This record gives sequence, structure tokens and C-alpha cells, in this order.
Amino acid sequence: MRIAIDILILISLFFAVAGTVGLLRMPDIFTRMQSSTNIGTLGVLGVIIGGTMYAIWQYSDYTMAVKIIILGLFYMITTPISGHALTKAAYRHGYRPKEDFVVDSYGEDLEDDD
Amino acid sequence: MKKTKFAAFLSTAIVCYLFWLVLTGQIISIFRGGASASVLIAGGAVSVLVALFSARFFIHDKAFFMFNPVRLFIMLFYLFFIFAWELIKANWDVARRALRPGKLKINPGIVKVPTGLKSEYALSMLANSITLTPGTITMDIADQDDKTYCYIHWIDVTAENGEPAGDAIKGTLEKWIRRIWE
Repeated sequence: MRIAIDILILISLFFAVAGTVGLLRMPDIFTRMQSSTNIGTLGVLGVIIGGTMYAIWQYSDYTMAVKIIILGLFYMITTPISGHALTKAAYRHGYRPKEDFVVDSYGEDLEDDD
Repeated sequence: MKKTKFAAFLSTAIVCYLFWLVLTGQIISIFRGGASASVLIAGGAVSVLVALFSARFFIHDKAFFMFNPVRLFIMLFYLFFIFAWELIKANWDVARRALRPGKLKINPGIVKVPTGLKSEYALSMLANSITLTPGTITMDIADQDDKTYCYIHWIDVTAENGEPAGDAIKGTLEKWIRRIWE
């Protein structure tokens, strides 16, 4: 059981490292947000599942297990909202990547409104 | 602002009370015996107070919609199988892009994708699911000519616009979300 928990936490470590490397290498804010969701999803989920299993099998502490699950639930509800707000705010503020977007329907429709 | 109905207030209070039971650990004490009465009563008072203030933000139409066990079951199935699998695939894809040596293989763009969902909860769940998958972020949702569109920033644009892009991004997610909420 201990090995399964360690493997889960290793997987989430791998994705957290990949997300951080992406964060440093990506050229602009939008692609950086994309890469950082890597940390926010599997990077956190692995730790949460591993922690729940640890609480159940190593401590037999069900209160702790349930609390970790609730933590993961609220995390999953709230993180996309901040990601969405950040990218939208960056775009509306006039931030554009150095190389142009392949398609930019949002910009076209915003111009139509003005 | 909409007027808060009693049903909306009641279901918000029930949800709050369930969260109170879980977070204080009382839900396990109830099954094993030995739940403390003072904690249960205090939780009830706090839930009612919170529901009084927040019911009008939390629930806009049918109040007891989510207390249907079939819907809850489909939602759990969606979260743990359909969505989890999409999440793993997308995570692996973005991680590979980030770790690949040499020039980054990215092709970013913002595409406009139509959706057939109507209910507020379904739309927010779809937008959240898309944002949670690495590689795609919902930037805005807009109504245009009686149709709802999502503007999605996509790290690797393979289809320029409309339906094909929507199929590539949403996959089967939209079908499952419609089953849950509509």
C-alpha cells in the first residue's frame, strides 16, 4: 500500500516539475497559464489521492481523509475561475504575445463591439 | 435581483449543513455513535444564517435539482471516469510539450466554439472543465444571435473555427454535462 501511495505522489511530482519547466520556457502569459494548469490538476490531484489513502491506511483517520477530499473538491472548483479571470484580464488590458495568434476570434468580435 | 424562494433557502441550508458535518468530522461520529449535540446545533444555526445570505447567489431556478440520486451518480461517474481520463491525456500532452528539448512545439490561438447548453450551471461546469484541462482556457462566454459561444485559448490550434474545433476541445464532455443538468 505504501508503494502505491509513493507512486501517486511521484506522478504528481513529475507533473509539477513539467508544469514549472513549462512556466519558465513558454513565451507569453497565455501559454504560461496553460502550462501552470499542469501543476494545478494532476500535480495536486495525485497528492490529494495519495494523502487520502495515507490517512486511511496508515492512520485509520477517516476525518482527515474526508477533509482532504473536500479540500480537493474546492480546489477543483476554484482554480479554473482564477485562470479564466487572469487570461481575460490580460487580453482585455491589451497584452498580446510576440508571435501572433494563429486565430483570434475574440479580438475580432471585440472590435465589432466597439 | 431575484427574490429568494423558500425552497432555494432550504436546499442551500441543507448543503451547508452537510459540509459542516463533513468538515467537523461529525458525520463519522454519527455512524459510530457519540456525536456531540452542541456541535450539531451550532452547525444548524450557522447553516441557516449562511443560507439566509447566500441562497440568492447559489440557486436561481429549480431548488432541489441536485438532490436527485441519478443525477448525482452521473455526475460522479463523469468526474471520476470521463473527465479524469480527459485530464490525464491533456496533462500528458502539455507536459510533453514543456519538457521536449529544442524549440517549443506550440501553436496558440483563440477559437470561438458554439455550445448547445442553456442552463447556467451547465455552462459554468463546461467552462470549468475546459479550463481545468491543460491546453485550453475558456476566456469568455457570450450570447450571439440566440446561440452561446465560448472563446477558448488553445495551445495547439488544429481546427480554425466552429464545429471541428469544438469537437476537438470538448470531445464527449458536453454530452455528459447535458445529461447531468438538462
